[in-house]
Amino acid sequence: MSEPITPPSADVDDARRFALSEDWLATIAGLAVVALAAAGVITADWIPL
Amino acid sequence: MSERRATEQGPLEDSVVSLNRGLWTGAFLAGLVAVVVGGVLARYLAVNVPEWTADGGAAELGAAVEYPVYAIAIGLLLNAVLALTGVRDRIAVGFRTEFFIKTGLVVLGATVLLSVIVRAAGPAILQGLLLITGVFAFTWWFAGKLGLDDKLRALLASAVSICGVSAAIAAAGAVRAKREQLAYTASLVILFALPSIFVLPWLADLLGLSPSVTGAWLGGNIDTTAAVTAAGSIAGEEPLQIASIVKLTQNALIGFVAVGLTAWFAFKVERSSEGAPKAIELWHRFPKFVLGFLAASVLATVYAEQASAANLEQFESTIKVFRDSFLTLAFVSIGLEFKVTSLREAGWRPVGVFAAATLVNIGLALALASILFAGFTL
Repeated sequence: MSEPITPPSADVDDARRFALSEDWLATIAGLAVVALAAAGVITADWIPL
Repeated sequence: MSERRATEQGPLEDSVVSLNRGLWTGAFLAGLVAVVVGGVLARYLAVNVPEWTADGGAAELGAAVEYPVYAIAIGLLLNAVLALTGVRDRIAVGFRTEFFIKTGLVVLGATVLLSVIVRAAGPAILQGLLLITGVFAFTWWFAGKLGLDDKLRALLASAVSICGVSAAIAAAGAVRAKREQLAYTASLVILFALPSIFVLPWLADLLGLSPSVTGAWLGGNIDTTAAVTAAGSIAGEEPLQIASIVKLTQNALIGFVAVGLTAWFAFKVERSSEGAPKAIELWHRFPKFVLGFLAASVLATVYAEQASAANLEQFESTIKVFRDSFLTLAFVSIGLEFKVTSLREAGWRPVGVFAAATLVNIGLALALASILFAGFTL
């Protein structure tokens, strides 16, 4: 019987991968805000405070 | 049986996985709610405190305190309350500082004209290269003198010389550092960044630095991008723009350092047979939000050429409100993420290294910003 095949310990690699996907998400979200503001779809009133 | 368990999942395992996923989602949402509640409170105070104090003796102070101060203070307060109630660590997955700061910075790109980025790019790149080389070399050398582990040396040197937590994460991936070394370095970054957010803008004012030199100094020496933005916001609109350009330039250089570290550890420290890192690694490590910042600036510059005055005014006020909202959430998250427990475990030597490197960073960045950004105006 062989030992269970477990994924390698890769906490740091996982953190890096998540940070990078978050990187893309932030880029898309930020550009969407700029594009929607330019199109007049969103305005300052959307944030009540 | 072991192999089957490792490669297939029965109904029980499926239930455990979906339960874990449900718990993770719940924790994520709870953490996010804490950040948003803190952000709303911070915005409320930033808008209303100047009005409440307008007629009293504290009018000047009330008007001078900017929104990052409220956001960080509320984040720290919530942090203490959540830690005392034992909830903080369970919902910490929702404190997405990196996401909020990067989104805020991409939106901030729309407030900076492309021509300013083009003019500032030369001095910003030169300052970044000199600062990263100088501060990284000093930190690596000094940490070696104090006998620190090579991986921790790499993490500390990257964090203090490039861009704080993001650089530490990239370096940790490059040198295969231990998770506790990364957590420890991230705590050190925030420990040193928090006072610098308030002290350095005040010091820049005391030294009579111009807005551009102030921005270049803050962007060059404060480690983490979120703290640079907070300090820039306190210093003013012009320092904020220059600080962002300088910091994003350093962010962009992270890929080169990570690839260099990977090669150094593979060939010199661990002598592994994995070979040299591929060129594609540079792209993998490149922070993509820097491209978003540039794209937003291009979009806003083109829009400003074509829009009517009324539309342009509405666009600018919308961008500023959304930018400040994302940055407020990032600053609340900074306060929420701060943790001292991992610092206690590592002893005084890394703290000493980080403190000495920070002082070198402050001095070198001041000298370079004063030379390279003298006479620069928006």
